[in-house]
Amino acid sequence: MLKIIIPTIMLMPLTWLSKKNMIWINTTTYSLLISLISLSLLNQPSNNSLNFSLMFFSDPLSAPLLVLTTWLLPLMLMASQHHLSKEPLIRKKLYITMLTMLQTFLIMTFTATELISFYILFEATLVPTLIIITRWGNQTERLNAGLYFLFYTLMGSLPLLVALISIQNLTGSLNFLLIQYWNQALPDSWSNIFLWLACMMAFMVKMPLYGLHLWLPKAHVEAPIAGSMVLAAILLKLGGYGMLRITTMLNPQTSFMAYPFLMLSLWGMIMTSSICLRQTDLKSLIAYSSVSHMALVIVAVLIQTPWSYMGATALMIAHGLTSSMLFCLANSNYERTHSRTMILARGLQTLLPLMAAWWLLASLTNLALPPSINLIGELFVVMSSFSWSNITIILMGANITITALYSLYMLITTQRGKYTHHVNSIKPSFTRENALMALHMTPLLLLSLNPKIILGFTY
Amino acid sequence: MNPLIFTTILMTVLLGTMIVMMSSHWLMIWIGFEMNLLAIIPILMKKYNPRTMEASTKYFLTQATASMLLMMAIIINLMHSGQWTITKVFNPTASIIMTSALAMKLGLTPFHFWVPEVTQGISLTSGLILLTWQKLAPMSILYQISPSINLNILLTMAVLSILVGGWGGLNQTQLRKIMAYSSIAHMGWMTAVLVYNPTLTMLNMLIYIMMTLTMFMLFIHSSSTTMLSLSHTWNKTPLTTTLILITLLSMGGLPPLSGFMPKWMIIQELTKNSSIILPTLMAIMALLNLYFYMRLTYSTSLTMFPSTNNMKMKWQFETKRITLLPPLIVMSSLLLPLTPMLSILD
Repeated sequence: MLKIIIPTIMLMPLTWLSKKNMIWINTTTYSLLISLISLSLLNQPSNNSLNFSLMFFSDPLSAPLLVLTTWLLPLMLMASQHHLSKEPLIRKKLYITMLTMLQTFLIMTFTATELISFYILFEATLVPTLIIITRWGNQTERLNAGLYFLFYTLMGSLPLLVALISIQNLTGSLNFLLIQYWNQALPDSWSNIFLWLACMMAFMVKMPLYGLHLWLPKAHVEAPIAGSMVLAAILLKLGGYGMLRITTMLNPQTSFMAYPFLMLSLWGMIMTSSICLRQTDLKSLIAYSSVSHMALVIVAVLIQTPWSYMGATALMIAHGLTSSMLFCLANSNYERTHSRTMILARGLQTLLPLMAAWWLLASLTNLALPPSINLIGELFVVMSSFSWSNITIILMGANITITALYSLYMLITTQRGKYTHHVNSIKPSFTRENALMALHMTPLLLLSLNPKIILGFTY
Repeated sequence: MNPLIFTTILMTVLLGTMIVMMSSHWLMIWIGFEMNLLAIIPILMKKYNPRTMEASTKYFLTQATASMLLMMAIIINLMHSGQWTITKVFNPTASIIMTSALAMKLGLTPFHFWVPEVTQGISLTSGLILLTWQKLAPMSILYQISPSINLNILLTMAVLSILVGGWGGLNQTQLRKIMAYSSIAHMGWMTAVLVYNPTLTMLNMLIYIMMTLTMFMLFIHSSSTTMLSLSHTWNKTPLTTTLILITLLSMGGLPPLSGFMPKWMIIQELTKNSSIILPTLMAIMALLNLYFYMRLTYSTSLTMFPSTNNMKMKWQFETKRITLLPPLIVMSSLLLPLTPMLSILD
């Protein structure tokens, strides 16, 4: 695993020592090379994990998330080039350093064996994200957004620290590989109920669960493009990954403790999808769409069946790529009109036809069109929740319909119709932007040919 | 002040603390405390104005009361155990009185009222000495009598200190008062784990002193005593803003910086001893501290705070010499990987 971590750390001296005209080229190229290295991890020979050392391991759940993380860094760098072009060189280098630091912590989080190490790195990802949001965001609301983001996550995760330490006292070790084999049923008592709550709330806030999702629209909207991309694509999946790991230790309380959260998620996904239909702010629409998709993942993780785990993993990867692509598309609008209002930039298909093709593909994958991996994820989740309780099919069906409604609403508002008179002088699409969209879309389409690699450890 | 006299007085302060830490006779400890107190009064009053006089008077009165309470506890201990050596204090009355006396010296709730007012009234360097060096002597006595301290009283004082340190600092804009409330909260963390594992108290003291030293050095460098004047540093030395950001996040206890280490170790120690609600409560209340540190970073490093036009053309006076800033910065932010080694040092 060091073959990925050390090059990522070394990206920081690379940024600081590069010349002014080579800084973007160097960092983007080398981060693409690092993502190539991580692809070798996808070859998981058995269901048991690949153990690299006492501290790092990778298994069929964490390998696709790791590949997604390393794939996103060059994309984030490409997306940030325009809005940083006017800044002095040191600030550009600082921004890239923040992104690289975040990347290092994320890679180490996804491959950590010891759960306390996972916790420390989970918290450590907050600091660079906070700095990116509050320092390089564009509106005054970013300060409030940073505070909400930091404090919601910290309030949820401090009980997790106490819970992890008390589990270490009980079982003697927090090494995840050992715990898989030592697992015993938790006795039924009030304190174990609180233990369950303490373990899960951190990840519920991060996912986010419907009642605790207030930080997400703020943070996603106010962050600069790389911040939005990494938040939507990876940081939300940290919550899902954590839940998938820690629920193995929490039986049998999960069977009855999960009900409130299941209800919140089932209702919340419909609520947030409906809010998307009435949004005027493009980034806010994509942010609420993220909440809705992640609610599906929460439902899948809490049901705890093999098919739902497959659906959760596939949905996480698919949503990461789709949501990041939608944020890049929204950013290309923002860079031209400097406004996030959807109706200010209508009818773009006439002006930018190739970008309209990317908008179409992104919207189609967002509404889970077959045969994309979004569909595989959603379908598995819908099927397993139907087997858990028949009534959920109504809510799931309603959610799929409303998702289609708002995705098409977003597509039609921004692309179709007559263009507004003040956008007919926007710059045409840059090659960089088209490359960015292609690099998002190609893995998504190729994965539909072999979804086995993203279906996780219950395949 | 005449440099020779200043050196003598400073040496007396150091000597007082050393006598406290190294004695085995209770009377010598009391003498050390008195020497420390009398010698630090001129240092607190380096600038001679009514505010410093008031601050020094408040400090003298509270510390003298604490010393007298300490003397009473020593005498009660002498009556009941018949000897003057420092061991655990067997008599519960003497133990409670001694704990209260030392809490008064440290600034723990409910004896915390003097800390913000005294710190605000004196200059930055004197405030530095007050909040770091002066804590060493009482803490060393607490360490030595730790087996006999009444747990209920100590934990109550600790939790209340964390609360007061968090809530009290929320409405402050003066940097010295913010550092004072931060000191109250950190003292609370330190005393909470004293009965369970005194090594962690010393670890927390070490990391706290490093971080407070760094913060004060950065304040002295930019000669700023209010949040407003600190927010002008991006005009003068932009690098200082990054350093302030890192140190403040470390003080707030965010991983992966070294300020997280004492909190993590203390939570671990408390949980191992089967108190679960207490460390959760303490950790959540430390978030209050983090809130006003974040507010400070927002005005200093994460935004370019509005300033008048002529701030950008400020005369560069000779830069103040800051001793040892780079190693301090490194130690106050990057020590987390050394946790296994540091948590077993005795």
